Amino acid sequence: IPDSGHKYYLQFTTEDYKTGENAGSCLATVLYPKAKSPPVVTIKCTPAKEQKEIQEEDNRLYQKIRHQTKPIIGNNIPDSYGNIEPALEPVWALAVAGSSYIMWEKSTEDVGYFMAQVKSVKQWIRKDDFIEFDYTVLLHKIPTQEIISCHMRLTWLPSHPLKVKYFCASENEGLDNGSGMGSGSAAGILHEKGANF
Amino acid sequence: LQLDFWLTPRGLGDPVDIHVPFRSLQPVKAHLEANGVFYSIMIEDVQTLIDDEQTEMLRSNRGLTFSTDTFNYASYHTLDEINSFMDALVAENPNLVSKIEIGRSTEKRPLYVLKFSKGGTNRPAIWIDTGIHSREWVTQASGVWFAKKIVLDHENDEGLSSILDKMDIFLEIVTNPDGFAFTHTTNRLWRKTRSKHSGSICVGVDPNRNWDAGFGGSGASGNPCSETYHGPYANSEPEVKSIVDFVKNHGNIKAFISIHSYSQLLLYPYGYTSTPAPDQKELGKDMWHDLSEKAVAALSSLYGTQYKYGSIITTIYKASGSTVDWTYDQGIKYSFTFELRDTGRYGFLLPATQVIPTAEETWLALKVIMEHTRDNPY
Repeated sequence: IPDSGHKYYLQFTTEDYKTGENAGSCLATVLYPKAKSPPVVTIKCTPAKEQKEIQEEDNRLYQKIRHQTKPIIGNNIPDSYGNIEPALEPVWALAVAGSSYIMWEKSTEDVGYFMAQVKSVKQWIRKDDFIEFDYTVLLHKIPTQEIISCHMRLTWLPSHPLKVKYFCASENEGLDNGSGMGSGSAAGILHEKGANF
Repeated sequence: LQLDFWLTPRGLGDPVDIHVPFRSLQPVKAHLEANGVFYSIMIEDVQTLIDDEQTEMLRSNRGLTFSTDTFNYASYHTLDEINSFMDALVAENPNLVSKIEIGRSTEKRPLYVLKFSKGGTNRPAIWIDTGIHSREWVTQASGVWFAKKIVLDHENDEGLSSILDKMDIFLEIVTNPDGFAFTHTTNRLWRKTRSKHSGSICVGVDPNRNWDAGFGGSGASGNPCSETYHGPYANSEPEVKSIVDFVKNHGNIKAFISIHSYSQLLLYPYGYTSTPAPDQKELGKDMWHDLSEKAVAALSSLYGTQYKYGSIITTIYKASGSTVDWTYDQGIKYSFTFELRDTGRYGFLLPATQVIPTAEETWLALKVIMEHTRDNPY
């Protein structure tokens, strides 16, 4: 759109991350303004499942996590060979949902992300009904090919929106030790504590 | 009787385990029955168990493949395991397969290429490489599968047999062995080589930005710490230089296919410029578009896996100094890059259960390209 920016019209289908089943379709417009500000998005989706069924699945996921007797901890999900322990699948699923929020905020017209791996996860037990996790997730950035390490604090209760707080270290994969290479001292420190190479 | 007690008598009520030699079986059974002693047979034949264990031990010996028929294609392997697989394949098929060393990596690892040939001298050839980016594990695993597939099918499959009647196939399975070793020992998501260039603490050059085609232009990074660092100069990386030398010395390579993951794409030049490559129009038709369409259709026919295709710059992003841009500019008309499974859900960490299906479907696409090359000599 001359003097205004680029507007994209999108029609797409979605699929369940776990099963690959069709999960619905969406119609969206995305306007990237000329000035580098966040895009303006309108979106309308038609889910393949009834709201009731979705709620039931959410509850099942929630109960699975709540019924653990010890705080959940894990590393490298999936592992080098692409395996995810069945017991850690719900935790991976939440990571995918939480990371998608991070990726949503960070994506631009030319930069996109995928969640590559959950490097570590630790559950914080709360006195209320919310479940809370502390994650280190690795995001794969396109087109730079960098692997970005993000600390993500995620809180959830079914029927409530996911609450995500995060901090991503801006880093280059080329570092062997944890010394932040010109990415600002705060990021450097976080990098050393959080990521493990 | 030569009885061998594995669990000696301890006291009343405790069981006793006895290993009985064959000739003593009858007398022992008769004696127990005559005295009303209950017995049951735990192991029918101890020797069978011992033999099985021996075979199993020989088979699963770290780094030693005794037979490419017992090799596990549905799992990821280490560099040593792949090297011994290659040696076993050559040993089993000396008339078809040979192993060539085309150079050494930065850390002095040999760069091996398998040559599949039914004879002749310097026949027109097809080049396939996997694992140039070390974290893309499904590619090296597919390369191993392709090697075995060629051996299995070289006589009974009409298409492959006729390809090999006229052409040789070169296959480099671990194109970046230093990076590959690093993904096993230290960082599973390592992409680049492991070279150190003076002036930086960062390690490695992106081998797919190091070729002399639009080298150093936009679409690569001049920052040594970047994942797309092009290197100090074109062909600075021995992993790249050795292929360049091989291709130039051979002089008769007619198709060049470089395999990556992930994204499910079939790509052709250019990456460094949006000017379409001159050869694209053959008899008024877009040669690459048509060939890619056929290859992708063949791939999808097996498991329904969806691929997109197009030139690098229009389909993914601008990339300078990439492999197939250089090979195309050398005159290798059929230069393609694959991006295998998946589309991001597992990404580089593709479960091993998907290795064989990925290799199988990709092979169908490779055959389309190879058959076209065979039928359109130039």
